[in-house]
Amino acid sequence: MLRFRNTFTDGVGFDTVLVMLALGYLVVFSAYPLVYNIIMSFQEVDLFSLASFDRPFVGLDNYRDVLGRPEAWTIFLNTVKFVGISVAAQLTIGFGLAMFFQLDFPGNSWLRGLFLAGWIMPALVVGAVWSWILAGDFGVLNHALLSLGLTSERIFWLSDPDMALYSVIIANIWLGVPFNMILLSVGLAGIPEDIYEAAEMDGATRVQRFFTITLPMMRAQLGAVISLGTIFTLQQFDLFAALTQGGPSNASNVFQYWSWQLSFQYYEIGVGSVISVLMILFVILVAAIYVRSTRAEHVA
Amino acid sequence: MTRQIELSNVQKYYGAYHALRSISLDIDEGEFVALVGPSGCGKSTLLRTIAGLEGISSGDLHIAGERVNDRAPRERDLAMVFQSYALYPHMTVRRNLTYSLRLQRRSRAEQAKAVEEIARITGLEGLLDRYPRELSGGQRQRVAMGRAIIREPKAFLFDEPLSNLDAALRVHMRSEVRQLHNRLGATSVYVTHDQIEAMTMADKVVVMRTGVIEQVGAPLDLYDRPANRFVAGFIGSPAMNFVPGIVQDGGTVALDLPGRPVLRFNGHRPAGEPVTVGLRPEHLELGDGPLTLPVGFVERTGSTSYVLTATDPELMISTPARFPDGRAEVTLSIDPANVHLFSDDTGAALLH
Repeated sequence: MLRFRNTFTDGVGFDTVLVMLALGYLVVFSAYPLVYNIIMSFQEVDLFSLASFDRPFVGLDNYRDVLGRPEAWTIFLNTVKFVGISVAAQLTIGFGLAMFFQLDFPGNSWLRGLFLAGWIMPALVVGAVWSWILAGDFGVLNHALLSLGLTSERIFWLSDPDMALYSVIIANIWLGVPFNMILLSVGLAGIPEDIYEAAEMDGATRVQRFFTITLPMMRAQLGAVISLGTIFTLQQFDLFAALTQGGPSNASNVFQYWSWQLSFQYYEIGVGSVISVLMILFVILVAAIYVRSTRAEHVA
Repeated sequence: MTRQIELSNVQKYYGAYHALRSISLDIDEGEFVALVGPSGCGKSTLLRTIAGLEGISSGDLHIAGERVNDRAPRERDLAMVFQSYALYPHMTVRRNLTYSLRLQRRSRAEQAKAVEEIARITGLEGLLDRYPRELSGGQRQRVAMGRAIIREPKAFLFDEPLSNLDAALRVHMRSEVRQLHNRLGATSVYVTHDQIEAMTMADKVVVMRTGVIEQVGAPLDLYDRPANRFVAGFIGSPAMNFVPGIVQDGGTVALDLPGRPVLRFNGHRPAGEPVTVGLRPEHLELGDGPLTLPVGFVERTGSTSYVLTATDPELMISTPARFPDGRAEVTLSIDPANVHLFSDDTGAALLH
């Protein structure tokens, strides 16, 4: 009995408990829903069969169904544009700001703190703010553009099919820039000043120093920011809910929002699961790249 | 000989802080100059000013006859070896060495030839494809030197390059750096806080304090004829003893020590002048003499015994003799030529 108690206070038993706690959490809240989701994507699920496991398996029917829908291709392209443009712009602007804040000037850290505002606010709130900015009739952006004479008529940012997706992208870029900036700032701060000085003595111009020192030494951070940015952008749901609801007529719809619409608005749960399974596969791929890039960091 | 680096009346301010005060210094082609002084004396700032990493507030800097005040570091054609080595961590040794050549877009064949030559000189053969993190401190040091040499610059700037090495390697690298300098016939400016490094390596030593050049001279000149009390105390190890004294008639000085011993010195000073007397520990000889002092503490290293007297101020005596245990008193003499006198007011040397 004593020995049994000892193992929990002071031995292998204690370690096992700790591991089981973490593992249990993962199994219940991550693995189980994941597997459940995958199973549902192969089943015919409706509101009545939602509660029981005993549902007819339909093989790849759900996959054929969803990928064969006419809007699937539009939404796929939208998703690619949304992720591609968001991540590229967030990275560029975030990197630029990170380099800017490396400079020593008064008010530096104070100003950098302000940039974190977007990161602190819930995305749904950010969406509400942007919906006011982008509103067609009374929006701030239209007012500014008209006053400056840059446009002659109002642009309906959120209801014009050519504009809606880009409006969400703009809001999402704003939301993601602080994260990029902070992560890249940390990376930049980790490059010793004397390496730049050595390069300067070796004859490198400012541009050459950027391409031969800064960029290669930031490889790990850039890899991390790109892959995490991709994952976060694929998770971006609130902005669509607040700004366009995927509309008009799917012009700004993306996979993550469509999946939710199918499952919880149209109750085509099996089909909705298919999309999340496809997205999971893609995210696993990105995560693998992320893990690789952080591993390279440990070696270096 | 031509002047390779010329500083005339260089001033450097950081805001209100006057970091370099009226620095004028000429460095000849092929000369090895050491800048030495306690930390915060401005020696590194001076080096970085020459490199162009720091600007000059006023004054002129000429390199090989051209005024370079407003030129960027890369336009000055100088190479620098940093204390931290500042190797490019994401490049192999080979790519570290060829970095400057690649920036100049030299041909691959030329690069390969240069790397081979440098690897031979610095003993880096076999390490060329390693990354800096895979090298020992001494090897990194060699890469940093190789990276400087490969460019054949107008001059080499060293910023305390050996201070991150362990003591034995430091002594070894000291001679290696100096031999390299001789072989290349290069002009070198070498910053160090270690006066032994400065004394052993340099043709010319520049002693600095609080942004001012205190004295410039050949190493043994600084040792034999320090211009002031600061240089006298800084050059030489263990440091010179300083004792207050009063000049007497006939070239003698009375020390403010028990028994008011009187020492002879070479030269003339007015009688009654209060002075500081400087006596090097290694110049105080055991045996018959005018000084008889109580013994306080003895340290023995085998080759040398260091005797500290129980006086105020205490005197350090360094002698190759084995100092016996239990001696309560020591009797000392000193050659009058080795007695230094310094002004109590300015600290300036009074005898030469």
